[in-house]
Amino acid sequence: MALLQIFDPVAPPTPIGIDLGTTHSLVAYMVDGRPECVLDCDQSPLLPSVVHYLEHGGVMVGTEAKGKAALHPRETLVSAKRFMGRGADDPETRRLGPYDFAMPAPGESNSVRFKVRGRAVTPVEVSAEILRVLRTNAEAKLRSVGGAVITVPAYFDEAQRQATKDAAKLAGLEVLRLLNEPTAAALAYGLDKGRTRGTFAVFDLGGGTFDVTILSLDDGVFQVRSTGGDAQLGGDDMDRLFAGWALGHMGVDPATASPELVRAALDAARVAKHELTDRPTTVIVVKSGETTFERAIRRTEFEDLVRPVIERTTPAVKRALRDAGLRPEEVDGVILVGGSTRVPAVREQVKKLFGQEPLSDIDPDQVVAFGAAIQADLLAGEGTKDDALILDVIPLSLGLETMGGVAEKILPRNTTIPAGRAQQFTTYADGQTGFELHVVQGERELAQDNRSLAKFTLRGIPPLPAGAAKLEVTFRVDADGMLTVTARELNTGIEQRIEVTPSFGLSGDDVERMLLESYEHAESDLATRQLRERITDAERVIAATEAALRVDGDLLDEDERAELDGALKALREAIAAQDGKKVHLRTEGLDRATQPLAERRMDRAVQQAMKGRAVAEVEDTVKDRPEHPHLAASYAKDSENDKETR
Amino acid sequence: MTDPFELLGLARRFSLDRAALEQRHRDLSRTLHPDRYVQAPPGERRMALERAVGVNEAFRALRDPLTRAEALLTLHGLSMGDADRPAPALLMEVMDLREALDEARRSPDKVAALLDRVRARSRAEESALATAFDADDAPDATALGRARDALVRLKYFRRFEDEADAALDY
Repeated sequence: MALLQIFDPVAPPTPIGIDLGTTHSLVAYMVDGRPECVLDCDQSPLLPSVVHYLEHGGVMVGTEAKGKAALHPRETLVSAKRFMGRGADDPETRRLGPYDFAMPAPGESNSVRFKVRGRAVTPVEVSAEILRVLRTNAEAKLRSVGGAVITVPAYFDEAQRQATKDAAKLAGLEVLRLLNEPTAAALAYGLDKGRTRGTFAVFDLGGGTFDVTILSLDDGVFQVRSTGGDAQLGGDDMDRLFAGWALGHMGVDPATASPELVRAALDAARVAKHELTDRPTTVIVVKSGETTFERAIRRTEFEDLVRPVIERTTPAVKRALRDAGLRPEEVDGVILVGGSTRVPAVREQVKKLFGQEPLSDIDPDQVVAFGAAIQADLLAGEGTKDDALILDVIPLSLGLETMGGVAEKILPRNTTIPAGRAQQFTTYADGQTGFELHVVQGERELAQDNRSLAKFTLRGIPPLPAGAAKLEVTFRVDADGMLTVTARELNTGIEQRIEVTPSFGLSGDDVERMLLESYEHAESDLATRQLRERITDAERVIAATEAALRVDGDLLDEDERAELDGALKALREAIAAQDGKKVHLRTEGLDRATQPLAERRMDRAVQQAMKGRAVAEVEDTVKDRPEHPHLAASYAKDSENDKETR
Repeated sequence: MTDPFELLGLARRFSLDRAALEQRHRDLSRTLHPDRYVQAPPGERRMALERAVGVNEAFRALRDPLTRAEALLTLHGLSMGDADRPAPALLMEVMDLREALDEARRSPDKVAALLDRVRARSRAEESALATAFDADDAPDATALGRARDALVRLKYFRRFEDEADAALDY
């Protein structure tokens, strides 16, 4: 039962940054201009991303849960992040691990489900449990928690990002932004070191995911040039190879080993791997039930074992450099992120790939959470145009399946977000009133080799002869890296209805249902909660409008100003009357009424931005290097000579 | 089609100061990026998103000389159609290059050398584009025709560069 909490009504809620990691999760906030992590009950900033489901309901999260893994391997979920946004038949479910999986029942969405204590649990729910603990820890420290920036691997696809948002929703968090982990790390580094310009690579190898991102920092703008990686490559894969080797020496076939033995082997492998970071030899000890297996191993032997995992980072790094139009020596610094970068062989790999010693002076375990906290603070605050700004990119090309099963790329990888592009289609049959678009994500030629995202069905196309309808379909990717699709029939100008069937993951209804099921607050009246949310939204719009009028009120004439003031007054009245429906309608009304002001403010800001610099725009000679469509911009450097050598 | 030059407040020319383009993109992003509008009302957020998308699209179009030339042709009333047949000499040259690439596949040095050669050809075409578009205040039909020819050649060379680059990766 929740204790009554006494909130300081005057203190504004503190925005937080969350690193929802495969192995550990952290929550951080800004204090006196510096990021700091919230400590859990063990006085550690690191919360193990482990959830144990208890026999009679309820969960344990963190170190306590970890302690249960040996005896309850099926009920203790470790590294659930590797399963986020995955379908029920994903290859991840067949890799070495102790879990039982449940196939979806007829009518259920196609998502991985763990079979735990007689019921099916999705990775979204598991992640929500972790996020919930982070939130309550933050609330205990900060008393009032505002919006959260949650980090995701840069290489996470649409389904994985949506799953993260769903988990946050279940945990009662307001998501300000999904932020890519390498970008978060770069933000923490860039602002900490007070650098104003340079090119950095972030090599982020965690428990389950690998990202490499090339960024340039110029004038407080962090611009991602390219990103690459592997969303299913990490320290866990080293553990698996190591554990498989140990099981082999025990004369056990990994495919038939008991879950207890598998968990024991994986845990022993992880411990030995950590020991080999600081020592040239160690002994791996696998203890399960009556069996104890011990074997001495040298670091060099371990490195030979896990070499395939480390080598898998090479193609992604090479492609990211190529996409950015850079040679390794043109990178000013390489930032290491993620616990797995402590492994000496991984550092050697980084040195080899980039030809330089990497930077790791900020704790590689905390740097991502720090970056998230910095951005949360930026987004939640008043913000000026002189604040740091992040320009990120989409990691994978977004395309459509066309006739013949070919994937046609609509938005190529490394396109700066937010991005949008329109494509025209027409009908194949006379009188065709529906149209199906299959959206895929990835670089392969054939649609079937790429990740299926969703099927969008357009309805309500006016019946016309084949080829006469002009459907303009627009793909838009927002700053979270999430895709929305809109369509218009150009002859009639009618916006088409779009139904989205996600290929993997939960539907909006699924999440709503889970939310209701998990609802355990003192005020269980849904209407009361809805009223509170509506009033919060309304007050936000009022505050924003008043702020805008203070600065740019001169842009409206008398009549327009009067209309706007009227809308403000009407909304305030609805709030005072605590009328939820009226508040909702009048909030929308105020939103509409502010549009002319918003537009003019934007025009004014753009004019000022364009005047701001006195830079010569025109030159006699073309300074460009030859470009590729999917390459991020290579920028003019201070020295002239690299153009000749390239 | 929206005019990317106008959107970014830059002169409508082929020759472009890359640093200026990047700077302008950064300055406009600072003003319009969705991150600046997180606390704003939904209508304003949507508006900023549309504009930010426009700015990013314009930036993408202008920073690559190939798409920049395409944009200029469209703005001057011409378009690249299927009717743009490359000259037989160009096709021969590209076929020879492809053969050379196939033979050189195992040797990164040879591929790199081919790549350099073709990059030099691309740069020559870019110079031709600069002359065609920028020599006078408003290019006449002849100049635009020359620009279109240069663009056709540039596209072929670019496609070859992509293939050669990919060969270097593996």
